Amino acid sequence: MQRTDGNTAEIELLYRQHGPALLLFAQAVTGERARAQDAVQQVFLKLLEKGSLGQVADKKAYLFTCVRNAALNDSKRRDRNAPLDPDSAWFSPPNRDYAGEQNLRRALEILPSEQRQVMVLHIWGELTFLQISDLLDLSSNTVASRYRYALAKLRDSMFAKENSCANS
Amino acid sequence: MPTLDDERFEAYLKQFRPLVPDPLPAVEPNRGARRKFVLGAWVAAAVAIVVLGALTFRIRTNRARVTENVVNVGNPGHLQDRQPLTMRGANALMAKAPSFKAMVDGMAFRSQAVPLPKGRRSAVAVLGKEKIKL
Repeated sequence: MQRTDGNTAEIELLYRQHGPALLLFAQAVTGERARAQDAVQQVFLKLLEKGSLGQVADKKAYLFTCVRNAALNDSKRRDRNAPLDPDSAWFSPPNRDYAGEQNLRRALEILPSEQRQVMVLHIWGELTFLQISDLLDLSSNTVASRYRYALAKLRDSMFAKENSCANS
Repeated sequence: MPTLDDERFEAYLKQFRPLVPDPLPAVEPNRGARRKFVLGAWVAAAVAIVVLGALTFRIRTNRARVTENVVNVGNPGHLQDRQPLTMRGANALMAKAPSFKAMVDGMAFRSQAVPLPKGRRSAVAVLGKEKIKL
């Protein structure tokens, strides 16, 4: 690998810093880890070929936008309503809580795509509602509203399952 | 398990870390540098073609000159006299030529490229216009 200049090092640093959240977001859009991985790598390879991020002010938000576009383009080529892959893990769980990871993933899968995207962008992408509104071309109020709904649904879904498991 | 409030639930969710993506595959050094190299190669090829063309043209021109010189070897005076044929020149040729054939040759191979000075006329042109009755 011949990427040694400053811009390349910066892009690689961005990949290490934001790669996991970008991958999760791409998974939330495409529903499949392999396609999500392709979308993220496609974005970063293009950046490496170009050599820089140019005059981008908010690099993190820009990366999420690029990954979303790549994932959506990929989805257009394939089946837009492909179901989420139930077998591939999305998270590294705390204290090897794999049941919790599966529970969270299933709860995310149940969410409508637009709510799931907002959820992932805010919780794991650590983007503000303003950044998300720019990224998704929505008003901040809409984003905040979708987030509240998503959070409530996710909590209900996760703890309803846990409680039902505990009761049975 | 008790239901958590929003902040605690968010903190709980953040404990789940997204998986690290696969490392980026190796890419070619720099496509820009490669493009420059390809462009440079094309330019070099174009220059080489132009130089070769110029050399070929020069060699052919030299060959033509050599051939012309070889043809005119038998008549060295003809090489020096590049003036167009005039009546005066034709008369001089008639007087000086060792034979009739040499005289005709001297008239026939005169260059017509150089325009005649004012007041002079080409003997060939005059002879060409004359209606000879046999």
